[in-house]
Amino acid sequence: MKTKQESTPIFPSDPRKTYGLMELVKGTSPMVDKGPEETVMSWPNLLILEVLAGLGTTVILLFWSLAIHAPLRDLANPDVTENPAKAPWYFMNLQEMLLHMHPALAGVIVPVIVIIALMVIPYVDRNEDDVGVWFASKKGRTIALWSAVYTTVWIPGLILFDELIRVRSLVPGPEIYPGWVIPLAVIAGLMALLYVMIRRWRPSRRETFVGLFTAFAVSYLLLTISGTFFRGHGMHLVWPWDLPPGALPF
Amino acid sequence: MNRRKSLADRIVQNRVWKSVFRQGYPNTAENQSKVVVNSWFLHIHPVKVRRHTLKITYTFGLGVISFFLFVVLVVTGAWLMLFHVPSVERAYGSIQGLETDVPFGILMRSMHRWAAHLMVLTVFLHLCRVFFTGGYKRPREFNWVIGVVLWVTTLLLSYTGYLLPWDQLSYWAVTVGTNMVGSFPGIGEIMRMALLGAKEVGQPTLTRFYALHIAILPLVMTILIGVHFWRIRKDGGLSAPGEKSSGERTEGS
Repeated sequence: MKTKQESTPIFPSDPRKTYGLMELVKGTSPMVDKGPEETVMSWPNLLILEVLAGLGTTVILLFWSLAIHAPLRDLANPDVTENPAKAPWYFMNLQEMLLHMHPALAGVIVPVIVIIALMVIPYVDRNEDDVGVWFASKKGRTIALWSAVYTTVWIPGLILFDELIRVRSLVPGPEIYPGWVIPLAVIAGLMALLYVMIRRWRPSRRETFVGLFTAFAVSYLLLTISGTFFRGHGMHLVWPWDLPPGALPF
Repeated sequence: MNRRKSLADRIVQNRVWKSVFRQGYPNTAENQSKVVVNSWFLHIHPVKVRRHTLKITYTFGLGVISFFLFVVLVVTGAWLMLFHVPSVERAYGSIQGLETDVPFGILMRSMHRWAAHLMVLTVFLHLCRVFFTGGYKRPREFNWVIGVVLWVTTLLLSYTGYLLPWDQLSYWAVTVGTNMVGSFPGIGEIMRMALLGAKEVGQPTLTRFYALHIAILPLVMTILIGVHFWRIRKDGGLSAPGEKSSGERTEGS
């Protein structure tokens, strides 16, 4: 006698098609050994969340756009230089760096190195044991926090130093020193110092990367904030409430 | 058995409906599988996902939100193309006209602008999320690389669009940015010329940025997003703790 389950198979074979074993392949599928209790159907469990995310995004964007209109300044005029002339906010990190080093270093070399370094990460950190754990471990969390504090002290400190004391007044030239040697030495020195300090925790490779990436992300954030909200006429430091009109690039 | 069919049944069981949606309403495991694999829009999903994938505090939905912002940008952007004239003489006027003469003109332009800014933010946050959860590890190394390229593409898309209104903000932003490239020793001036199409920001620049913004970069982006999503499924869904315990992964799986 057929059980109920046998009479209603989940995937009945189609009588109009023929089925055959074509090939045996060695290997596991990505979901092998994942018991059904660990998984749920994408419809509706995943899709409902995606729809909610889409709706939420659209609604927030709609109300934001109703409240604040996109800016439109005067017609472009090559003869009237904006002061300050700012890039979009997401490039203000580069423009902030530009104030402290040779433009090629700030605008091309550093970003290209960062992009390549990011791409290389998975090929250097190959241990798969800690996948899916935020900051790798408790130790990683401590390292990330410490790295964030370290960067938050150094970046504003360096910005203030270069604004108030000015590297170029200490070392006026030749350009190779204030433009290339000193900035590169400071970046390399601070990264080396951070690395040495992270090593004290005896971290895994991933935990080391967590520390270095945190330093990158916090630098990126702080440089963006500084360039966007703290730079007025002639790109000098001002408080955000003293910014000249039109200094915010949005 | 009900003698009368409900209205819903009449809708989902007639031939027209079934020609569009091949399976019945997805309230059985079979139909829930079919609805995903039979749909061009949904087939990029796996039929089943780990419970862990749905955890909001793991992903914060940043990838999906970035994708929806891209969709909003494509829709509002296509709409803006109907009105914007990519010419130095007329671009600014066409935006002014959009704001004064076109119903919902300001709204659509604002949505396009803010969605672009927001997408720059969410894509970067998504990158940080994947990094801090170790989601870049084997077998997802290459998808991480694609993700980094997508982040850069997002920045370039946003930047090329910045010039199109041809106002002071866009003109000087592009001047500042391309001057940085131009200062590169040796080949800088050549790279700057390649971007601007001239010595100064002008009509050739607007033409280039327009082509990049509305055709070339969106195409690159769309293809890369497709590969990115497809790889998520092929690499076994989102990363999750304890993955390795499921046994040795064979090369190429």
